[in-house]
Amino acid sequence: MSPAARAFFEAAPYVAAFVIGALIPRRSSVLERLAVGIVGALSVLALKGLWPDAAAPVTEKADEWPHLLNVVVFMPFVGAIALLFLPRQSPKFLQRFTLTVLGLNFFVSLFLLGATMTRGWHFQYITEWIPSLGIRYHVAIDGVSLWMVLLTTFTTPIAAYVAFGSVRKRIKDLCFAFLLLHGAMLGAFVALDLFLFFVFWELMLIPMLLMIGVWGGLERIKAAYKFFLYTMIGSMMMLAAILYVVWTHYELAGYLTFDYLALSKVTLPRTAAWLCYAGFSLAFLIKVPVFPFHTWLPDAHVQAPTGGSIILAAVLLKLGTYGYIRFCMGMFAGPAAHAATTLAGLVIAMGIFYGALVAWKQDDVKRLVAYSSVAHMGFVMLGVFAATQSGVEGALLQMINHGVSSGALFLLVGVIYDRRHTRMVREFGGLAKVMPVYAAVFILITMSSIGVPGTNGFVGEFMVIMGTFASNHLGAFSHLHGGLAAAGVILAAVYMLSVVQKMFFGPLTNEKNANLSDMNVRESVAMAPLIALVFLIGFFPSLFLNRMSDSVTATLDRYIEGRIAWSQGAGAEGASLRERRGGPLETGYPLPPSSTRAVAAMDGKEAH
Amino acid sequence: MDTSLMSSPGVMMLFGLSPILALGLGGLLLMLAEAFGRPVVAHALEAQAIGAQPAGPEGQIVDAGAGRAAELALGAAVILFAGAIFSVALWLVGPENVTATERVAPYLLIDRFSVFFSFVVCLGGGIAALLAGGYLPEHRIERGEFFPLLVFCTLGAQALAAAGDLLSLFVALETMSLGVYCLVGLRRTSVRASEAALKYFLLGSFAAALMLFGAALLYGATGRTDLAGIGEAIAGLSGDGLEGRAAQILIALALLIVGLAFKVGAVPFHMWTPDAYEGAPTPTTGFMAVAVKTAAVAVLLRVLLVVFADERLGSWGTGWPPVLATIAVLSMFIANFIAGRQESVKRMLAYSSIAHAGYVFIGVVATSRSVDAQASVLFYLLTYTVSTLGAFGALILAGRYRAEAVSYEDLAGFGRRHPAAALAFSFFLISLAGVPPTAGFFGKLYVFKAAIQGELYWLVVLGLINSVIGAYYYLKVLVFMYMREPKPGAPFATPMRSGYVATALVIAACFVLGLGILPDTALEAAVAAVLGG
Amino acid sequence: MLETYLPLFLLFVVALVIGGAMFTLGHFVGRKPLGPEQAMPYECGNDTRGGRDVKLTVKFYLTAILFVVFDIEVVFIYPWATLFKSLGWVGFATMSAFIVALGVALVYVWRKGALEWES
Repeated sequence: MSPAARAFFEAAPYVAAFVIGALIPRRSSVLERLAVGIVGALSVLALKGLWPDAAAPVTEKADEWPHLLNVVVFMPFVGAIALLFLPRQSPKFLQRFTLTVLGLNFFVSLFLLGATMTRGWHFQYITEWIPSLGIRYHVAIDGVSLWMVLLTTFTTPIAAYVAFGSVRKRIKDLCFAFLLLHGAMLGAFVALDLFLFFVFWELMLIPMLLMIGVWGGLERIKAAYKFFLYTMIGSMMMLAAILYVVWTHYELAGYLTFDYLALSKVTLPRTAAWLCYAGFSLAFLIKVPVFPFHTWLPDAHVQAPTGGSIILAAVLLKLGTYGYIRFCMGMFAGPAAHAATTLAGLVIAMGIFYGALVAWKQDDVKRLVAYSSVAHMGFVMLGVFAATQSGVEGALLQMINHGVSSGALFLLVGVIYDRRHTRMVREFGGLAKVMPVYAAVFILITMSSIGVPGTNGFVGEFMVIMGTFASNHLGAFSHLHGGLAAAGVILAAVYMLSVVQKMFFGPLTNEKNANLSDMNVRESVAMAPLIALVFLIGFFPSLFLNRMSDSVTATLDRYIEGRIAWSQGAGAEGASLRERRGGPLETGYPLPPSSTRAVAAMDGKEAH
Repeated sequence: MDTSLMSSPGVMMLFGLSPILALGLGGLLLMLAEAFGRPVVAHALEAQAIGAQPAGPEGQIVDAGAGRAAELALGAAVILFAGAIFSVALWLVGPENVTATERVAPYLLIDRFSVFFSFVVCLGGGIAALLAGGYLPEHRIERGEFFPLLVFCTLGAQALAAAGDLLSLFVALETMSLGVYCLVGLRRTSVRASEAALKYFLLGSFAAALMLFGAALLYGATGRTDLAGIGEAIAGLSGDGLEGRAAQILIALALLIVGLAFKVGAVPFHMWTPDAYEGAPTPTTGFMAVAVKTAAVAVLLRVLLVVFADERLGSWGTGWPPVLATIAVLSMFIANFIAGRQESVKRMLAYSSIAHAGYVFIGVVATSRSVDAQASVLFYLLTYTVSTLGAFGALILAGRYRAEAVSYEDLAGFGRRHPAAALAFSFFLISLAGVPPTAGFFGKLYVFKAAIQGELYWLVVLGLINSVIGAYYYLKVLVFMYMREPKPGAPFATPMRSGYVATALVIAACFVLGLGILPDTALEAAVAAVLGG
Repeated sequence: MLETYLPLFLLFVVALVIGGAMFTLGHFVGRKPLGPEQAMPYECGNDTRGGRDVKLTVKFYLTAILFVVFDIEVVFIYPWATLFKSLGWVGFATMSAFIVALGVALVYVWRKGALEWES
């Protein structure tokens, strides 16, 4: 086959998707057609990237372009800076610019799928940043963070698109906040230097704060304060823990570094290990959020504009679970393993059950979805605490699912809110007659959220429950926990189905609803990829699972190792440094600086 | 020719002293310029100063005077930045290579430590001068004395950081303080300003007297006035000699700490701070919060680490560290809690500067146990200087004549009406709150790291808790600027237009961002300043 | 330690005793004023008039302060003058700089109008 013919066949699916996409919208502008077409082509590309055969057969790492992650992370930042110089007076242009940057970002991030996710770090890029404190710019992904990155790049354009539909004021600030937030989230997922991670972690605060506080509802300022202060308390405790671990490593190894690879080799003295674990997990559990630190979430969700809620639910919460898997389990396996049973009980009782029950009693649909997040994230955390292969894989998958389904739910709530400016369930009833498409989509997403087989929710919840049941980390409780979690699924059905029933079926009680228009093009365009993903994950979960399994295994291996070491008394006699193993998990391990730096020299203990 | 010139001790001496000389000579020139340069408007302005209605349309007088004050501001800024540049040049050559300056030792110690502080203080003074160049004309405080005074105060601060002898230390302290008293009371017709100046003056003189008493006791105990000599003498005391002098030395230590803590404005010696800060013209407030505090901390470090470095005095059990730790904790908690309850933004910033003194003191305490701590204090002061001046500058920018932004309410909706000014304000506040990627974050990080190194975990935890409390009130400004709208009919802040203020903010912002993203050079400089290498 | 201050303490005591003794003795031993002229503060010059709380114009203070300032500066010159030869040119240059600074201050004061009595 000639190269031209091959190129033609290669390009054909994209062109087809583009053309179909461009033809679908009725009565809309060229630009809108163009946008839908591009979304179509991107979906094909995403699908192609996901397909197992498409991944190159075990390539050498040399094939990975080392700057890919830099491009992915910094593209939004560059976009944000460029945005500052664009005129405030043309909001349409600003919106398009933002969407283009975000779309391009998604496109670029799809290339991450090109690498085979073998054990170890991929697309690693390291450079010195602040040598005198041993801080490096170190980014890389593995099978865990790959999905988080893709989830982010996938969700944010949708969130931004939705937000632009409903927000009318201060568009420039909104675009700026979106781009900054996007970049910071991506950075936090790929950072392997704790300092870098912390910088990105904190950088997320301000744009999210503004998003809630500026474009939010009536109680927005209270919600913004609550969000900021809760998160800040968590991150300050984390900072203290980071500094302690860094200092311990310095005393043991003789050089300063903030690198995750090096710091995860440190065995702390017992009490210190508990405290540092507490510092880290406080930051992450607040973010997840886990009872009793969850109270900021309903406020933030309810007050945030729809776009903000989607980002919050789909991505920001995932930083908590991701952080827990990566840092708490990676660095403090012993304390984490000891706390797991208790915490698992906590998330079942106060997350899955309490969250679901509270959600059930909510009158405000958005609040309901917010509390359902508490319940769903309870499942995720349960899978993480179970620490079995299927538990953690299920948790990761459930993170993606939750991003998709709660993002979609917030979007759908936004649709009705834009029309009626209320979200109270009692205001609606019999909507299925007026808005059939909307009702159908809502029910579909409800199915996904409940976990009906065939949708994505089923796979995730099933794997989590299975993993919990079989977990030997939870000891005697594993069966009990597994059983209870399974029972918890029923509760999800209770609150979701009751709200569907009240809103969509029965007589059309409120005459204000009689003339509501069905979903428009913008809303449908935003929904389409989410629906596609519901089924994609539901039917072909292995597309996702086989890319994460190696990394999950590696994470669990080290976790179990740390747990065994802890039970054999690691850290009982002061701090120590575990020896390095080498191998793919430790590529890029920070080495002592060749020249003795001033800071190291000061202590009198020279680096050996 | 060149080499012989450079090797001649006289030239080297001049070079070594160039940061100080630049300010001294520049200040004199500025005085002359001020005296000879304002024949026309003097009467009109004096009429205005005593509260009479100015003759003719307001605009004319203001314009005439504004030009003059602006020129003087430019002159002062040039002099102060020249001081900063000379400091950098001296740093690059290395003060230890300029041996000629040993002739002025120990009265002035030209080492890396003092050159670092000279740079920080000159930078702070320069930015303050630019701010004043916009602020004074706008608020009709047409007093040209401001600028020579500012330069001389900075000179005093420089000399204070370089002082290695009790005599020069006291002279420098008074040079700095006397000028600042005048700067505070510059707004003669305002009762508030007079009250502030008088309060500051009385309490300041009292503190200076206490310090002088401490210094006298030290001299009495050791018979030396140079700090190093006193330190040696104290270290050499033992047995009977110690028996007789222990009380004397301890009292001296206490008095010196009290005197300097007063200048720093740390709790419980902070009572004057909010009033003085609020009553003073805002550029002065910024200058006080920055340069005065920095120089006082510099001399505190010098005194503690040179004079009282002895094991018996510098240890946790018997010496100054617990005292300073107490001051640090009190400063942070009390100032942060009171700051959260303020209505006035300026007063909030005043309390916030007390809280920052607390963070600095954490680093000072840690010097007793960790070598890195001293460098962390230096670096913190640098970051604090640019962030604080930036915040005060943004506050200045947010107000016009008779419409100064005072309370949070005044700032409502500021973010929507003036996005650039609001963005700058938020940026500096975020730096003060210590959120990355700004300079303030690195300052805090470095101090806390040093404290952890010194195993002062509880201090670090208290410091971090305070960061959260502090974040609350910095956030409050953001909340008002971006999330509230002014009440109907209520006055709201309109930003002034001034190239000077804008320039000052740009300079400060560059430093805040630069130190936040690439702090390495500054970190190494701080370490080198301490190690002298 | 306190022994070292004994001489100082003695000095205090002696000063107090002598000073106190002079006053007391003068009161008892001295001759009482004979006439109104002798009761006056000044035996020559103007009669004192008015109350003690009379307000002086601020110009007096200004002038007085200026006098004190420049007067004290002159004090610095005396020790220098006694060591003029041994200090040499460096000393000369230093003192010249000092005088110049003083001169600038004087010019400043002059230009600012602080020396004008009438304004």
